[in-house]
Amino acid sequence: MQREIESQGIVTVGISLVRKISETVKPPRTYVLKYPFGHALGEAFQEKQQMQIFQDCLEILESANEPGIIVDSPYRWRRHQFD
Amino acid sequence: MKKFINRLLVQLYQIPWVKKRWSNRFKAVESERIPWVPLTKPLAQCKVALLTTGGVHLKTDAPFDMEDKHGDPSYRKIPSNISPHELMITHDYYNHEDADQDINLVLPIDILHKSQQKKQVGPSTEFFYSFMGHIEEPHLSTLIHHTAKDVAQQLKAQHADIAILVPA
Repeated sequence: MQREIESQGIVTVGISLVRKISETVKPPRTYVLKYPFGHALGEAFQEKQQMQIFQDCLEILESANEPGIIVDSPYRWRRHQFD
Repeated sequence: MKKFINRLLVQLYQIPWVKKRWSNRFKAVESERIPWVPLTKPLAQCKVALLTTGGVHLKTDAPFDMEDKHGDPSYRKIPSNISPHELMITHDYYNHEDADQDINLVLPIDILHKSQQKKQVGPSTEFFYSFMGHIEEPHLSTLIHHTAKDVAQQLKAQHADIAILVPA
């Protein structure tokens, strides 16, 4: 899906919860989080956490300079303090 | 019985090593050439599209097909000015108890609005798009060759500059 959208000239970033699959599929830009399924933006109602993950995606859109880049999130599920 | 087994599997996949074992065995579609377009203008001027594979849809829309064991390759359009209370999730293959309470976990509508209020990104496309992420052949080919092309062309027609894709 992401590859098709990028092919239409739209700059894409995809969150991934499974790095191995992204390595195989090779989307243009990927942000990998070691979070459980159903929690790509983090924990429910944790706005700071969700905003940070969203902004990380924006940062990748701005800074990525090679096709297929995979960025690993430093956040640990339920351990990272988002200020 | 099928729903019971699915619920059991969903609980199992919440265990990190089970998830890792599943991902090691999962046969994803392998690609070589990577499509790529550079960002040519500031994000604050970019029109944004959101896409999710979380099985999100309008409460008034037909739900995704949970009876077909190979999945449902169709998509649902979600007006970008929708209230989260008008949305629901139909997806038996992941635990969406938290996402049922806070849709932003799989479709960050409120988070995008806050980002727009801060002028970090530009306006939304008229529609966002939702899919069901658990799709096997023969529906996988339909998804890749028909659904994905259709949605990509719709996003282009809505003058999307950037797209953020969120999995379940």
